[in-house]
Amino acid sequence: MLHLFTVVIEVLAGIVAVTALGIVAVRVLRKRWQRRQAALAAGPRRSLLAFVADNGEEGSHDLVAIPDDAWRAAEPGALALLGKLRGEAHLALVSVFLRRGTARIALANLRSRSRVKRARAAQVLGDLELRQAVPELCRLLTDRHAEVRVVAVRALGRIGDPTAAWRIIASLDRPDPVSSLLATDALVQLGTEAEVTLSAALDHPQARVRAVCLDALGLLGAAGSVHRVARVLRDDANLDVRVAAAVNLGRLGTRTACEPLALALQPARPAALRAAAARALGELGAPAAVPTLAGLLDDDEFQVAHEAAHALRRLGSAGTAALLAAVEIEAERAARAGAGAHARPSAPASHAMEALALARVSAEPVGIGA
Amino acid sequence: MSTILLVEDDPDIRHLVSYKLTKGGLDVIGVGDGIAALRAARDHPPDLVLLDVRMPRMSGIEVCRELRAGPLRADVPIILLTARSLPQDLEQGYAAGASDYIVKPFSPRELLKRVEAALARVGS
Repeated sequence: MLHLFTVVIEVLAGIVAVTALGIVAVRVLRKRWQRRQAALAAGPRRSLLAFVADNGEEGSHDLVAIPDDAWRAAEPGALALLGKLRGEAHLALVSVFLRRGTARIALANLRSRSRVKRARAAQVLGDLELRQAVPELCRLLTDRHAEVRVVAVRALGRIGDPTAAWRIIASLDRPDPVSSLLATDALVQLGTEAEVTLSAALDHPQARVRAVCLDALGLLGAAGSVHRVARVLRDDANLDVRVAAAVNLGRLGTRTACEPLALALQPARPAALRAAAARALGELGAPAAVPTLAGLLDDDEFQVAHEAAHALRRLGSAGTAALLAAVEIEAERAARAGAGAHARPSAPASHAMEALALARVSAEPVGIGA
Repeated sequence: MSTILLVEDDPDIRHLVSYKLTKGGLDVIGVGDGIAALRAARDHPPDLVLLDVRMPRMSGIEVCRELRAGPLRADVPIILLTARSLPQDLEQGYAAGASDYIVKPFSPRELLKRVEAALARVGS
């Protein structure tokens, strides 16, 4: 029995020792490999950085001639640089990648069975801003793996080809879509040429799709779509979409947005919509909205009155005058009633005082250096 | 020769910018974090600071504030290198004492021009 116990202990000790040795060996080998890779990458990395800093004016032949093993070691760092540069430096780096066949390999890898390879390939093609890859990247928008779809959307945004707009929008109408923020960001990167597609998608049956398109139009400053956005604000069946329409009319910043926003402030409308419309009138910067907003300071809905006060603050001197008037009316009322200094102010005066205090804080000079 | 203090945690970007500025006839002290930047600013007062915003240990905004509060002369420009270009991010930078900003992704050629322009403004 004792002998058996000793044998078991010895076997266990042996397993532990072999495992420990294995771990140490793997670590040593990995460190050696990393050192070798770093040494291999050092030369190409220096040449690459100098080439990029010189806007690719000299040294491209040397980079194309770098042996494959050294290039493979330097390539991850070089790919990371792509996303941090623009202008001639970016174009120069892209030209090196194209000449070394990186784009060809990435295009082939978009159809790899490995999701990691597909995602990496999409990332590379996005960083290379290769328009030729757009149809294949659009195909990845329906990839069965969410992480691949995310990288594909980012890559399409980076490439900025407006022909991808409809495919990105359509990819939102699926059970497990990419996040709205990510899609909005990509759509905005497609530029104003995507405006027609975004505007047409405001009739999409999915509320989420309509809301994303409204955000993209607002962030693009697509002033040509004001009437369509105003129509969504008036007629859409979904409250969240109507709120998004109000917010983005404010972003679009055109005079024609004033009237639909003022209509959305009517007391019969939902409070969330009225608050968004009040805020948007402030964002518009139209002094004509001052009387409407001043009238909302005593609104029964706290959020509406609060947003109206801050919208007046954003409207500059005309808005500030309306806020001061609300405070003065309150002071006179308190004086007439013989209320002391500690009397509780009315709701309109409270909103106005808060907005005025914030205006004073914002106006304080900051220590900007030379 | 003007001295530029370059604060950037990405070694490749630090190397690239140093190379470009050095080739443009400037003397560059490159450091990888905010603590080293504050020490370098005390030991070798620079004529301009190029400061990355997103860094480990201390953000560029914090470094900017510390530099303005202590070791840096008030007329020394601080240019922020930032991937965040929303108005509130920029306001935060200016409030901390920055003079200008360069948005990433950036063009090395434009960066050199902006640095030269800032130095010329101080010189004049």
